[in-house]
Amino acid sequence: MPPAAPLHADPGLQPERTVLSWGRTMMLFAVVGAVFLRWLPHYGFWTLGLTLSCAVVAGAIYLTQRRRYSRQSRGIAAEQVEADVPAVLITTLATVVLGLLGILAVLA
Amino acid sequence: MSENPQRGRLSARLLAHGTEPDPRFTLANERTFLAWIRTALAFLAGGVAVEAFAAEVFADPYRTVVSVLTISVGLLISVGAALRWLNVERSMRLGHPLPMPLIIPLLSFASGVAMAVIIALVVLD
Repeated sequence: MPPAAPLHADPGLQPERTVLSWGRTMMLFAVVGAVFLRWLPHYGFWTLGLTLSCAVVAGAIYLTQRRRYSRQSRGIAAEQVEADVPAVLITTLATVVLGLLGILAVLA
Repeated sequence: MSENPQRGRLSARLLAHGTEPDPRFTLANERTFLAWIRTALAFLAGGVAVEAFAAEVFADPYRTVVSVLTISVGLLISVGAALRWLNVERSMRLGHPLPMPLIIPLLSFASGVAMAVIIALVVLD
């Protein structure tokens, strides 16, 4: 049986550490979503949208972890990894949108 | 695009110049970005928590101000994290020295102000 993900020869375990870093970020999105739930009694049901958005971002990170790991190990093996511009931009955008909606909810 | 047809369109547009750096540095830059995003998310959760849990500590207008300021710091840090990631990536591609991290003074200043506000409110109460 072939290995589940391509092997790399990096003693610094860069793909592992990067994927774990995404994993921690995923968990924090989930935690922030759970904290937003505390607003439900004060600001009404639309705040559920904030929790759901956090869940979507966390879920998206979870579902792309395996692909991320194999892309990065392949890249380490080939000595070339393309910077993951879409992932960075989408994560930033999600954080900014959550923050803006949070401020709107507090001020409304 | 011509140098490497496999590059994504966004990557080719935002990181147009220079050559591909050591993949370890690219991944390290990505992890640093993620650490900043987690910092931003912590500020976001902090702001939400102030508004949701601190009704007995902060009177109403103060609580809203503290909450909005905390979330705004989170917003600034997340935008700064993306800009820093991009600048570091560009510097590495061009072989330039890495830029100064402007979000570090921002973080220190915001944390200092937050603590000063909390101390002032608790002492004045």
